[in-house]
Amino acid sequence: MSVSEQMLVSLKWMSPALVLLFGGCLILCSSVFLSPLKPTGVDNRRNLMASISMFFLVAAAAFHLLVTSHISTNTIDSCLFRFDSISIAAERLALIGGVILILLSWSLAPKNYLPEFYGCLLLILAAIPIIGASNDLIAMFLGLELVSIPTYIMLSIAKGDNASFEAALKYFTLSGFASCFFLLGISFLYGLSGSMDLGSVCAMLGNGGGGKLGLLAVLLILCGLAFRITAVPFHFYGPDVFEGTSLTMAAVMSYLPKVAGFVAMVRLFGASPVGESLTPMVVPVLLVTSVLTMCIGNALAVAQTSLRRLLGYSSIAHTGYLLLGFAALILSSAEPQVLFTYLAAYAAMTLGVFACLAEVDEAGGQSIVVGDLSGMYYRRPAASIAMAICLLSLIGLPLTAGFVAKLQLFFAAGGANRWDMTVCVWVMAINAAVAAGYYFRLLSKLFERGLDLPPLRLWRPSLFLAYSLCAVLTIVWFFQPTSM
Amino acid sequence: MTSQLLIPLLVFLPILVGIVLCLVAGKKSSWISDIATSFSGLMVIAAIALLCAVHSAQGNSEAVGLIQPQIVFGPSWMELKLPFAIQGHSVNWQLQLGADSFSAMMVLLTSLVTFAVLMTARTQITERRDLYDGMILITQGILMGIFLAMDLLLFYVFFEAVLIPIILLMNIWGDPKESLRASRKFLLFTLAGSIPMIVGIVGIVLQSATADRASTVLLPQLSAIAFESQLTRGVTENFATSQFLILAALMLGFGIKMALLPLHSWLPTTYSASHPNTTALIAAVVGKLGVYGLLRIVLPLTPVALSVYYQIVVGTLGAIAIVYGALIALRQTDLRRLMAYSSLSHMGFVTLGLMAMNREGIAGATIQMFNHGLITAAIFLMIGMIEQRRGRLVLGNENFGLAAAYPHLGFLMVFFTLAGAGLPGLNSFVGEILALMGMLRVSAGIVGIAVLGTVLGAWYALRVLQHVMFSSDGKTNKRDAATADIGWADWAALAPLALLCVVIGVRPSTFTDTMKVDVDRMAVSLEPAAKALHPTIDTLAVVKK
Repeated sequence: MSVSEQMLVSLKWMSPALVLLFGGCLILCSSVFLSPLKPTGVDNRRNLMASISMFFLVAAAAFHLLVTSHISTNTIDSCLFRFDSISIAAERLALIGGVILILLSWSLAPKNYLPEFYGCLLLILAAIPIIGASNDLIAMFLGLELVSIPTYIMLSIAKGDNASFEAALKYFTLSGFASCFFLLGISFLYGLSGSMDLGSVCAMLGNGGGGKLGLLAVLLILCGLAFRITAVPFHFYGPDVFEGTSLTMAAVMSYLPKVAGFVAMVRLFGASPVGESLTPMVVPVLLVTSVLTMCIGNALAVAQTSLRRLLGYSSIAHTGYLLLGFAALILSSAEPQVLFTYLAAYAAMTLGVFACLAEVDEAGGQSIVVGDLSGMYYRRPAASIAMAICLLSLIGLPLTAGFVAKLQLFFAAGGANRWDMTVCVWVMAINAAVAAGYYFRLLSKLFERGLDLPPLRLWRPSLFLAYSLCAVLTIVWFFQPTSM
Repeated sequence: MTSQLLIPLLVFLPILVGIVLCLVAGKKSSWISDIATSFSGLMVIAAIALLCAVHSAQGNSEAVGLIQPQIVFGPSWMELKLPFAIQGHSVNWQLQLGADSFSAMMVLLTSLVTFAVLMTARTQITERRDLYDGMILITQGILMGIFLAMDLLLFYVFFEAVLIPIILLMNIWGDPKESLRASRKFLLFTLAGSIPMIVGIVGIVLQSATADRASTVLLPQLSAIAFESQLTRGVTENFATSQFLILAALMLGFGIKMALLPLHSWLPTTYSASHPNTTALIAAVVGKLGVYGLLRIVLPLTPVALSVYYQIVVGTLGAIAIVYGALIALRQTDLRRLMAYSSLSHMGFVTLGLMAMNREGIAGATIQMFNHGLITAAIFLMIGMIEQRRGRLVLGNENFGLAAAYPHLGFLMVFFTLAGAGLPGLNSFVGEILALMGMLRVSAGIVGIAVLGTVLGAWYALRVLQHVMFSSDGKTNKRDAATADIGWADWAALAPLALLCVVIGVRPSTFTDTMKVDVDRMAVSLEPAAKALHPTIDTLAVVKK
């Protein structure tokens, strides 16, 4: 294949990401030319910005469908980018999450910074396919930074009060730290292998060429990514940021960085085996992290009264489950698809809960502590039912996507046939039972009777769409797990 | 071929009809309950047809495993591909619904109880009855799914899914003060067992795969594999140890669901907080899920570990539950709680029968599951009728003498109470005596404890009759239109149950003949497994070579 042909094919493959990048830049630039916002024009501006970003997202989705149905995968695998099932799955995760997040933020995005908000959101969404397709350490690093930097901006403009600035600063500092870990790791790998190409790096590690330095490099990279996915001990910022920032931003933070981190992990270590020499060291580290993450996440979530912190810790716990799946992936008892299925289910259920909380907020209720949800079913039936479905899925009950996702993890981890994995499966099962307790606390609050609070009447079609989409996906994915 | 279609009909149609009824509920129309009731009547007929089909299909196929459904429904769309590999084989599981005699009996019980519940709901449930009917039908469909599932995944999915309608039924129509807390307790107890239970299921499936055999979730195949390894590896501690963790996970899940003694505390609160009409369904069918799980999954798939680690322990717990439940029931003043503890006590016999791990025990336990379902459903329905007329009764010094005011209700109450107490000639006697006979081959001590329970059982049952029905002429309370005796709908609900109580009591072979093939098949594996460890056990079965 000639260079120009290669170029053309990769352009086709990258088209969804390019559309999103272009759209993001366009919207960001538009802020310069837009007239100052009049108080009466807020709704128009919201509709305009959100629909433009939705347009780019839909265009990206159209390109995605077109490309995946017409071009066979793996046509290029020795360049900066590589296109296979992982990159396709990453693109899908970004697109699904993007649709839900734009619907969710339609009426909630910070009104003074609308172009910046949507521009940054599109840039983050563009970054995830880039990470998924990267075949080169530098490309991956750039992708990860393309997630982080817009996140800083979004966090700082999200609310404009002190708590939100504190959250932004906290995230900025710690995220910078994490990037340093990652950079240090990849520089060691470059030093050892003499190449930035993922294939040759993995080959070097697989042959045991890395030695102790190789192990250190891998651990450093995992540390850098552990921050993005809020794994213990890099989880401290999570609940604080969730609580400090706006609801929309909390939803963004609960999903996009996690997807970016896991996609990067799968891309780095999942597709090609890390090698006999590293597995005995890396897997125990992953398992210990996984067990700590799920236990600490769930134990602290049980104690929370603040809804945001509860969701923050619950998101940490889900990271723990996913890490167990990742360990199974390294031991090659699972396909990357297991993790992506879980992430898709996670997107539907967690973003669904956020959308319902946003609806309660918007309609004039409150969503600060758990008690605010008391009797919500009688005040806001549709949102409560959607939230109930999402919570059931978070518990992992059948008829929801959460069940399929957890079941696959159980089988993947159990199938590794190692005693330590079996122990972890038990720990995960116990954790899931503990988690059922606090999710059900929310659930039973929704249906509490005899409070006689006034019904909430204000109706936002975008939020309604957001949570009904999440609820429907949650149920549909149970019956069609392969469509995730 | 046509009998195969009965299975999806029994499982999916009630769910579908239930969902439709829930969607159209709320319009002021009385025809919705008529539709629901007549539909559930049709389901009874379908269930009877299924039982007959199972009976006539017996002996057609050569059995490979301990579970051999006579009727199978497993179309190609029920195939599940998942993105991981087990022992190098990609996962491609065929899911299956099917019926053997155990399933068919439980399906019959479910359909009869649902019919009765919907019949009595016409007078009992005053708020949102359409929605109630829809929910009951959805519950019925899911319960049928549990009983007809022939693979681990469908079983588990239905087993968990049934919680959702039950929780809603408890909360919307239950006692406004208690139901929220009670349902939370019920759900958390159940989930604490059933989420770890999935580990056991995963373990069984993973163990089924070897280098040259792909994994499977089908119960017939899994039981064949279990039996084969029992024959090749023998009943040894070593073999049992490899199944210990799996069995522990399963026993935790089923133990909580069957309210095994230290794990029982959700049961009285759940039974007393729900509307008695709902409790009838919960106590009669949902309360059987734990023991059904033992019968369906634990006994055939992990018999060796069961006999080594749990047979005597769980058997003893069952015997203690009989006595303990009866003693607590003696001291209760609330009729609902009293019957909840009585239910706990009676279910002890089922546990006992299963833990005997022999022919009589299993036959007795299965019959007793059915019997107890009939009786407890009827009694809770009648508690609903009493409460509708007199409010929640507090038993104590006062005698209500309801039999004088409501002779029909009084007659039925006496009938079902005596059936429950184990009067010879009625159904419980058959089940209990078989279960005790089975256990007697294993341990006379356990039977000695359990027999005490039958005496205590008669005592509290007669105490209820004395206080509620007799000892007073009932004239102190005025009779007016609102407190008339039970009507035709209530009779229609209870009469089939009463009729079956008599039929089983007089001619138990109606059902035991149908079950014989399946019971014998199980005993071939279970009796040697139990005997190898407890050589004093008296067995009849011959090991198939």
